[in-house]
Amino acid sequence: MSTPASQFKEPLESVRARVADDLRAVVAAESVLSDIESLRPYECDGLSAYRKLPLVVVLPDRIEQVQEVARYCFKNDIPIVARGAGTGLSGGALPIENGVILSLAKFNRVLKIDAQNRTAVVQPGVRNLAISEAVAHLDLYYAPDPSSQIACTIGGNVAENAGGLHCLKYGLTVHNILKLKIVTVDGDLVTIGSDALDSPGYDLLSILTGSEGLLGIIVEVTVKLLPKPECARVIMASFDDIEKAGNAVGNIIAAGIIPGGLEMMDNAAIRATEDFVHAGYDVEAAAILLCELDGIPDEVEDDIESVKVVLAQSGYTQMQIAENEAQRQLFWSGRKAAFPAVGRISPDYYCIDGTIPRRALGSVLNKITELSKEYGLRVVNVFHAGDGNLHPLILYDGNVEGDLEKTELLAARILQLCIEVGGTITGEHGVGMEKIDQMCVQFDSLELTQFHAVKEAFDEKRLLNPDKAVPTLHRCAEFGAMHVHKGQLKFPEIERF
Amino acid sequence: MQTNLADFIRHTAEGAEADSILRSCVHCGFCTATCPTYQLLGDELDGPRGRIYLIKQVLEGTPPAHATQLHLDRCLTCRSCETTCPSGVRFGRLLDIGRHVVETQVGRTVVDRALRKLLRTILPYRNRFGPLLRCGQVFRGMMPPVLKKMTPPRVAAAPWPDNRHQREMLVLNGCVQPAIAPNINSDTARVLDRLGIRLITTNDGCCGALSQHLNAREEALKFIRRNVDTWWPHIEAGVEAIVSTASGCGVMLKDYGYLLREDPGYADKAAKISALTRDISEILETEDLKKLRPNTKLRVAFQSPCSLQHGLRLTGRVERILTSLGFSLVAVPDAHLCCGSAGTYSILNPTISSQLKKNKLEALGSGAPDVIATANIGCLSHLQSEASVPVVHWISLVADS
Amino acid sequence: MSSDSAQDLIAAVKRACDRKVALCLQGGNTKDFYGREPCGEPISILSHSGIVDYAPTELVITARGGTRLTEIESVVAEHKQMLAFEPPSFGSEATLGGTIASGLSGPRRPYVGAARDFTLGIRMINGRGEDLKFGGKVMKNVAGYDVSRLLVGSMGTLGVLLEISLKVLPVPKVEQTLMFELEQDQALALQNDWARKPSPISATSYREGVLHIRLSGSEKGVKAARARLGGEKIDHGRKHWHDIKEQRHKFFSQSGPLWRISVPPTAPTLNIPGSALLEWSGALRWLITDTPAQKIRAEVDKLGGHAVLFRGGDRENAFHPLATAVHKLHENLKKAFDPMGVLNPGRMYEGI
Ligand SMILES: Cc1cc2nc3c(=O)[nH]c(=O)nc-3n(C[C@H](O)[C@H](O)[C@H](O)COP(=O)(O)OP(=O)(O)OC[C@H]3O[C@@H](n4cnc5c(N)ncnc54)[C@H](O)[C@@H]3O)c2cc1C
Ligand code: SF4
Ligand code: SF4
Repeated sequence: MSTPASQFKEPLESVRARVADDLRAVVAAESVLSDIESLRPYECDGLSAYRKLPLVVVLPDRIEQVQEVARYCFKNDIPIVARGAGTGLSGGALPIENGVILSLAKFNRVLKIDAQNRTAVVQPGVRNLAISEAVAHLDLYYAPDPSSQIACTIGGNVAENAGGLHCLKYGLTVHNILKLKIVTVDGDLVTIGSDALDSPGYDLLSILTGSEGLLGIIVEVTVKLLPKPECARVIMASFDDIEKAGNAVGNIIAAGIIPGGLEMMDNAAIRATEDFVHAGYDVEAAAILLCELDGIPDEVEDDIESVKVVLAQSGYTQMQIAENEAQRQLFWSGRKAAFPAVGRISPDYYCIDGTIPRRALGSVLNKITELSKEYGLRVVNVFHAGDGNLHPLILYDGNVEGDLEKTELLAARILQLCIEVGGTITGEHGVGMEKIDQMCVQFDSLELTQFHAVKEAFDEKRLLNPDKAVPTLHRCAEFGAMHVHKGQLKFPEIERF
Repeated sequence: MQTNLADFIRHTAEGAEADSILRSCVHCGFCTATCPTYQLLGDELDGPRGRIYLIKQVLEGTPPAHATQLHLDRCLTCRSCETTCPSGVRFGRLLDIGRHVVETQVGRTVVDRALRKLLRTILPYRNRFGPLLRCGQVFRGMMPPVLKKMTPPRVAAAPWPDNRHQREMLVLNGCVQPAIAPNINSDTARVLDRLGIRLITTNDGCCGALSQHLNAREEALKFIRRNVDTWWPHIEAGVEAIVSTASGCGVMLKDYGYLLREDPGYADKAAKISALTRDISEILETEDLKKLRPNTKLRVAFQSPCSLQHGLRLTGRVERILTSLGFSLVAVPDAHLCCGSAGTYSILNPTISSQLKKNKLEALGSGAPDVIATANIGCLSHLQSEASVPVVHWISLVADS
Repeated sequence: MSSDSAQDLIAAVKRACDRKVALCLQGGNTKDFYGREPCGEPISILSHSGIVDYAPTELVITARGGTRLTEIESVVAEHKQMLAFEPPSFGSEATLGGTIASGLSGPRRPYVGAARDFTLGIRMINGRGEDLKFGGKVMKNVAGYDVSRLLVGSMGTLGVLLEISLKVLPVPKVEQTLMFELEQDQALALQNDWARKPSPISATSYREGVLHIRLSGSEKGVKAARARLGGEKIDHGRKHWHDIKEQRHKFFSQSGPLWRISVPPTAPTLNIPGSALLEWSGALRWLITDTPAQKIRAEVDKLGGHAVLFRGGDRENAFHPLATAVHKLHENLKKAFDPMGVLNPGRMYEGI
């Protein structure tokens, strides 16, 4: 293995100028950014607490250019960080000081729609929602719908294995794609997967999905499309207690119903969101559940009745069923806008992504409330309840000294809680830079070594988004968690990142 | 978002305002999705979130250079990002502040300055723009195609009704509209006349938006004060509303109160004017439309101007009025995107502007309409230059019986 | 049953590394016929069996690799749940480990997902004899690479599956099978039309002019769909689908090499002589033919699919050859998991 992220002998500024010049031979001059002024807005993704200036930013618009850039970087040992829309919440697209940010945002065309096969071939920079919009006239849609779907790209979705509001029933990104074209670290164009339902050999599609830009640069995606459900209705149920709402989730599943979507918001989230969408959410409720049932109209009616019974048994205080499609959309649009809407009540938030068994929802939510008090930081909950995928948002103020550090400590405690109840540190946002130290808690050194071996199978020089997603053993040793034995977790007090 | 404004601005009122806007941005990137320039160019720097970052950087003390100015100039000020932003970031306001600071620090080339100055010296003045345009119209036949496209044909205005009514409203004349499309206000007067409202005009002038967007704030305030002075006697006499028939100007009028908030002689009056300002659609939607019997044979594609949907936040109103009157409206994809007119933008950023125009006309044409209706003079003349069907103000459709 | 069984297996793999001998991983030996010829010292996983954890409301079951598939199926059935990908067992001896390692899915696959789609987490031994856990028991997990899914269908060449966590689904309240008489092209076209609209179709098979479809869902849902689709209701539906899944259908008793051909569902009738049975709304085509492998694969390549020699014939090239770059990635991955090449070497491709 050659040295990754090679230590340049010459000063950074002159490397920057040289690399930029070289890359201008590959892509249009204005598609290479190298002045500090222009690099600054690329210093972070959706997690703005972590920032770093890249060496240069390059914005190709043809696959051959991506290949050329990769070849150049490979030859010169320059790391590459791919970037889609920069909505990631784990610092996956956080730049590396001596690395190139390779933006795929200009690749924003839908290349082919095959209605009969129910697939679409799209470029990686196409926005998630734009796919569904492009096929809406055929009564088809692309199922995974992250809350950020208006803005996030399909390339970013694949790289993170993004989930969404309707994943409980329709699956994650990995369940809804068929084929990828990737540019490898040394500039080869490789097709992974196929137009058929399966492919020969190892399931490389799975290993690439969620690989956070560490294994290859995604330059084309073939997605599966689903027929729009004939009928979809959403129930909004209010609870006067967050634990009751949490338990209602498990009860619905236990009744043998798999809702199209099952989401939860607590009071603070409801209020912040209502302020933006005016959806008619119950702003008095301690928590609301949004439960969508879809399918054939008759079937949906049956399911609604069953869900109503379960909700009654779970102790709801109010219930409303969206009267029409417009109202249904409104209920969901509020949920989708919930994170940024929280920006109305706090200058900054820190989003956690732990996933836990559903049976632990109620108790974990209670524990989070306790922790929130302990740390003196407000926590807002809005999340994919059906999947057990929590998104506690810790509210803090980046301008107050020490607030972020305190927030990180609380976040670590919450993640620790998730692992304790048998969950994971990230359900859909990825590890990126943000949760890299928690990886040392979730995996032992052998497992991490295996991950590194996988990385090397694709990228021996470790040039693609290096130092993200999988911590080095050295880092973990410093983090001081390596002695933790899996299964019987005895956590050392987790310190700040 | 974390901020750390530099000393030069930290303690000013603008600094405080900018800081609070910056801090309300959580960097989610939702706004990039609906930003016309980001959609075309795919560069973070050409989207709202990037522009916010560029401005933040300047306000935090990094001296800007050409790049920042370029990307801020490329912003259409369409404020689509504001509609999209769940966090309530007032981008338009931040941009105003940012542009001003950047312009003071970077300056402009002689040519650029001259062009901007020229626009500011001609467009806002009816007595300058009008004759120039008429001159152009006379020679339209002899012009090269490019110029011809930019020079709209002359439109005749129907006579202004002269009936007395109990109810009175005042309409803004503004600057370019009377020259390009004098029919819009007279059509408005005819429609209101049928509803029992007399519409009066005064010797007002440009609403000030043009100067404001070209960063000539003092000049803008001069225009505003002049209009306030002109209208004040009528307001004291009890006009019910100040009607705007160009949504771009409407946004500006509704901002008068804010812009003059620190001017003791004008603050109250300006606030009153802003409170009285109504887009013509806001007037119609509360009236009994049964009194109107427009000819509804035409299939209409409605182009919702940014100033109407993002500035005034009146999305869907005109469409509802037209539908309730019996017009059939065709679906228009990507209705939230700017047509590229954006005041003087089409002149200053012709490449982006014409691409947006092309896209917009394609979207408008996709439902095969007989006519395109809009609500703002800027969009009207911009689209008209290349549209294959007539482009009119929607009120003219309503007036046509 | 004891956790020692895992330690035994780990020790065995380590020993194999030391001795530089290949191991042939064995479960119930029901899929011996599949892939390239097994070779190496047999090592049985059977003793490492048992259900570790099953929480019906979580929709997750975790069991050891040597657990009989039948045991798992009957336990979940008690709670009106199922392994929705309907894995074929090819005999009562089939184990969960073998099922996941071969990655085969049954009739319901196109409508709900494949084995890999339901795999949430695994515990495995890699070729260095290391005990590793990936994924988890929750619905979503993106911490680290998705090694669990990579192992699905890897034919034991990357690791010994010690434990597997699978997502389960509620059993549909009602299932009904309908029959239609149609020409193949018509049947393909019709199925693709159906697939364009939401419908509770959960399996299809086509053979010699007869299309069978299964509907699954609520009573009303199935009734409504039936009214729309038409066709004739048949009573022996359960047996029909079981026979298809387990290859007990008389089609499979014909002599000659059996090919499993995976194509986009809209691919036309294959231009290859032989006897065919179609599943998965046209996306899976079983073909019994003596046509040479090369010819079959050339034809299938054109359609964007791949062909596996499933039973019989020359097993040397059972799996569809890989593009050079993809083959290289396979070699690299094999090395990453099993550097000494002790785990089922050559079961998939030569050297892998
Ligand atoms: C308000 C808000 C709500 C969100 N809700 C959800 C949600 O409900 N579900 C969910 O799953 N996520 C959610 N996210 C997170 C985020 O939107 C997703 O992770 C999304 O998939 C990121 O896409 P992107 O295009 O922004 O990628 P980026 O942030 O640009 O990049 C993300 C990662 O992918 C890599 N990458 C990007 N493009 C490529 C490519 N072409 N090839 C290789 N690697 C690439 C980057 O290197 C990086 O590691 C939310 C984010 C926000 C801000
Ligand atoms: S005002 Fe319009 S052009 Fe400017 S950043 Fe916002 S959306 Fe983009
Ligand atoms: S949508 Fe609002 S909060 Fe999000 S990045 Fe844009 S301006 Fe900031």
